[in-house]
Amino acid sequence: MTAIKFYGHGLPNVQTTPLPGRLIVLEGPDGVGRSTQVALLREWLESQGYAVFSSGLRRSELASAGIETAKQGHTLGHVTMALFYAADFCDRLEREILPMLRAGFVVLTDRYIYSLMARAMVRGVDKRWVQSLMGIALVPDAVFYLKARVQDLVPRVLSTRGFDFWEAGMDFLPTSDYYQSYAVYQERMLRTFDELGAEFGFVEIDASRSIDAVFADLRAGIGQIVSELKTAEAAAQQ
Amino acid sequence: MATLPDGTMLPGKLFIVEGIDGSGKSTQLDLVHKWLTTSGYLVAFSEWNSSPLVAKATKRGKKKQLLTPTTFSLMHAVDFSQRFQQQILPALRAGAIVLADRYIYTAFARDAARGVNREWVREVYSFAVKPTVALYFRVPLDESLRRIIVGRPALKYYEAGLDLGLSDDPYECYRIFQGRILREYDAMVDEFGLTVIDAAAPLVQQQQLVRQIIAPHLEGALRIDPNPWRDVLGTEHLSGRYLDSLVHPGAPAS
Repeated sequence: MTAIKFYGHGLPNVQTTPLPGRLIVLEGPDGVGRSTQVALLREWLESQGYAVFSSGLRRSELASAGIETAKQGHTLGHVTMALFYAADFCDRLEREILPMLRAGFVVLTDRYIYSLMARAMVRGVDKRWVQSLMGIALVPDAVFYLKARVQDLVPRVLSTRGFDFWEAGMDFLPTSDYYQSYAVYQERMLRTFDELGAEFGFVEIDASRSIDAVFADLRAGIGQIVSELKTAEAAAQQ
Repeated sequence: MATLPDGTMLPGKLFIVEGIDGSGKSTQLDLVHKWLTTSGYLVAFSEWNSSPLVAKATKRGKKKQLLTPTTFSLMHAVDFSQRFQQQILPALRAGAIVLADRYIYTAFARDAARGVNREWVREVYSFAVKPTVALYFRVPLDESLRRIIVGRPALKYYEAGLDLGLSDDPYECYRIFQGRILREYDAMVDEFGLTVIDAAAPLVQQQQLVRQIIAPHLEGALRIDPNPWRDVLGTEHLSGRYLDSLVHPGAPAS
């Protein structure tokens, strides 16, 4: 059982009884391979007999369509965008993540509030404000941070979908050169992630290595957390 | 003067109205709007929950009843932030008068009535400008209900606060919900220095009072020529017969 604990003011109307599930977060920069690892982990966990729910940013029923529209028009300011992302996050937290944890699932999320905080902070939004805004978030059981340097990320991004307007920070950086902008933006994001990692206790995983080496580390770390579920269930049955 | 959170004074003037549904605040603000434009001031107007981008998502959330107190609060914050950055702040920087039909105090009152943490909501909106004058139209609950219920077929789900499950009867639920909001407003009078207007008083007398309160703050506000085409008409010998059909941005609906 995991006691319910929020980072800040938390959410109203939440039952305070402990959650039987586990909340595991994968964080890391764009192109580091988070979604690949989530897909692999989900299959592995299910093969071990765990019920898994995976979630990621901008997948809420409420706000995802609006955020996509806003991104196309590049119309929103940084504070507005942070609030829109917070609405998206909160919708998933209240209507998906919390109920799934209550039902005993292992919830794997591809990014969490830290990406949202970093995203806003590098754009000059006040850190204290973002942190208070995101105080609605549940404290996860673990945050695995896939860490890589910008030079490790570039070939991966180029070989898959190319540079994205937002992932290159083109919305606020002064240069119109995608590559240069990407490098500056991701460098700032990495520094911010390092700062947040120290503060929020990320487990760092060197993601400049091969997919199987990263997977092995994640499997070991996550395996330990979820194994408690089996012993806890066994204990409850006796 | 309107003041940024860091203490910076902006050259514009921000006048806002607050109050529960049926307090008559929008009617009063509309009269202020007409008065100021007629007096030659450049007036920008911004209404609560009116940003088109967010409207779609909020509408979807309402229709499918997806909204929780916190997501409801955040969607309104998105709407406000968008209007604040694009309408309110630029107009205040330019030295114009901005009229806002509901402001951050609406969020503080409604969200708290829905059980959202008061400090959290205040922190969410901490980027907002402090208004030059914040008018709170205080009306007894029964009087506002009487005004609202007349000629209204049915209360909507969130409007009545049915999401809170206070009562199965929409009207009873609405009454409880509005009562809570009223208490939140009353508690904010001292916290934020709201100027209380007795909204049960006759309409015209309220407007006289409102104008008395606003008038001393108008000095230095940006003005525009109400008839910028007058010279063109004169020199070109035109009558301007089609100008009347134009909708002038910023002018109140007549």
